[in-house]
Amino acid sequence: MVHALIDGVLTGSVYALMATGLTLIFGVMEIINVAQGIFVILGAYLSYYLQLHFGIDLFAGLLITIPTMFVVGIVVQRLFLARLKGPEKTAMSILVTYAISLVIEGILNIAFTVNNVQLNTSYTNKSFQVFGVYIPYIYFMGFLLAIVLLSGLYYMLYRTRFGASIRASLADQSAAALVGIDVKKVSTICFGIGIAVTAAGGMVFGATNAFNASTSYDLISRLLTIIVLGGMGSLAGALVAGIAMVTLEDLVGAIWSPVWSTMAFFVVLVVVLSFRPQGLFGQQSARAA
Amino acid sequence: MSNAEFVTFSGVFAGYGGGDVLKDVAFSVPQGGITTIVGPNGSGKSTLLKTVSGLVRPRLGQIMFKGQNLVGKSAREILNLGVVQVPQNHSLFREMTVEENVALGAFLVKDKKVVASRLANLKEMFPIVAQRANDKAGSLSGGQQRLVEFARCLMLEPDLVVLDEPSMGLDPKTLKIMFQTVKMMNEAGRTVLLVEQNARQALKMSDYGVVLENGHVRLSGSGNDVLNHPEIGALYLGGGAQTKKEGQA
Repeated sequence: MVHALIDGVLTGSVYALMATGLTLIFGVMEIINVAQGIFVILGAYLSYYLQLHFGIDLFAGLLITIPTMFVVGIVVQRLFLARLKGPEKTAMSILVTYAISLVIEGILNIAFTVNNVQLNTSYTNKSFQVFGVYIPYIYFMGFLLAIVLLSGLYYMLYRTRFGASIRASLADQSAAALVGIDVKKVSTICFGIGIAVTAAGGMVFGATNAFNASTSYDLISRLLTIIVLGGMGSLAGALVAGIAMVTLEDLVGAIWSPVWSTMAFFVVLVVVLSFRPQGLFGQQSARAA
Repeated sequence: MSNAEFVTFSGVFAGYGGGDVLKDVAFSVPQGGITTIVGPNGSGKSTLLKTVSGLVRPRLGQIMFKGQNLVGKSAREILNLGVVQVPQNHSLFREMTVEENVALGAFLVKDKKVVASRLANLKEMFPIVAQRANDKAGSLSGGQQRLVEFARCLMLEPDLVVLDEPSMGLDPKTLKIMFQTVKMMNEAGRTVLLVEQNARQALKMSDYGVVLENGHVRLSGSGNDVLNHPEIGALYLGGGAQTKKEGQA
């Protein structure tokens, strides 16, 4: 049980990182990016490619993959999502990002085939012992990576001028424009950041799970569940819900049966939404103005 | 106040895609005073203010401010020229603190010392900003939020302050404070362009009044002229024109 708890927190933090990108995109742009799952897998494949062909370490490779995914995010936002306007914007964004997801999935299947791969290095199969519990190095390093990136993200959001402009845009785009915030620019950069974090999330996911392009469907269902539970657009909600959901899943698997662990994930969602339709940290009327 | 024309609307047509709300609007806002726009619901008052702040782009016409045409400029460019707007709906960022909200009013000012100095001045001018600096803006009452919005709009030290129905939803006591604050902003050197549902009260303190009707300027003149106009009083000010004595009170 202790092992399940530790594993849940370590893995949950990585999910929280990926979900933070998703909720940031929704919060600022009102876009539901169902392509987030395939972007995570794309990030994983980028790390795989750099390691396989250039021998670049998984963590060192993030210096290349994170900026690359940021640029991919900017291009996708400018080409496809910036054009979405009006009351149908959010609904249309599901269709547009699903189409993007299918295209990327097709390209990945052609480039890497449908066979499962997993990222392997000297430290992915090693572990260390704490209080009698074996913790794989890759889980712990992934956890540290998520903490560092989330801390950086939170520092940017709460301690910088640009962060203030993001939070203002999250709250009310018209009011943000009235104080001089360039909401279009903020939206583009936020989408870039939201996709950039998938490079890190994808690398850790790929080092702890076998994957192919279609793994993205399981991922996006989990990520969407996390941000709905945490409250759409809430960064704190994504963090808490990410860790809570994966920890719960692992605990149910350890105490009861792994068969029920995924179901527990969704039962919690249904129960919470019955009492708080806006999610744990969401605000019912936050976007009414 | 000076009589120099500060903002000049000429031949302005604007709307939201389903036809023009404003039809050939033309009038001038004198420098240094308070100009109040009155008129029935749907006459285009709020749309007119949105054309000034860049939220609605006119289809035709010119809005000249300090020698520059505001038509076609972005909200950000217009802010940079010294025009700020406090919209009709509360526009504070509810999850941010009062101080963060006010500081964001100077988002375009990059010098942190200047921002800090202006913030300190506004804390003196608006005690609510100092008293509730670290509270979330969403926890304030409607009247308090309105005062914080006023403080925020002054962070840019604007030349023109555009206020869209600032008294909306306020109780009578807060309403009085709100009008006093508008007067105070004006006395501090800001030209104020105001749309107000409490038309009689607003016109009393205004140097200039404009009556909009179906997107046209029906009448313009001094605040007292509009207030005492027999037809306007009956139609839009809740009764007939006041006696001369009342009108000048």
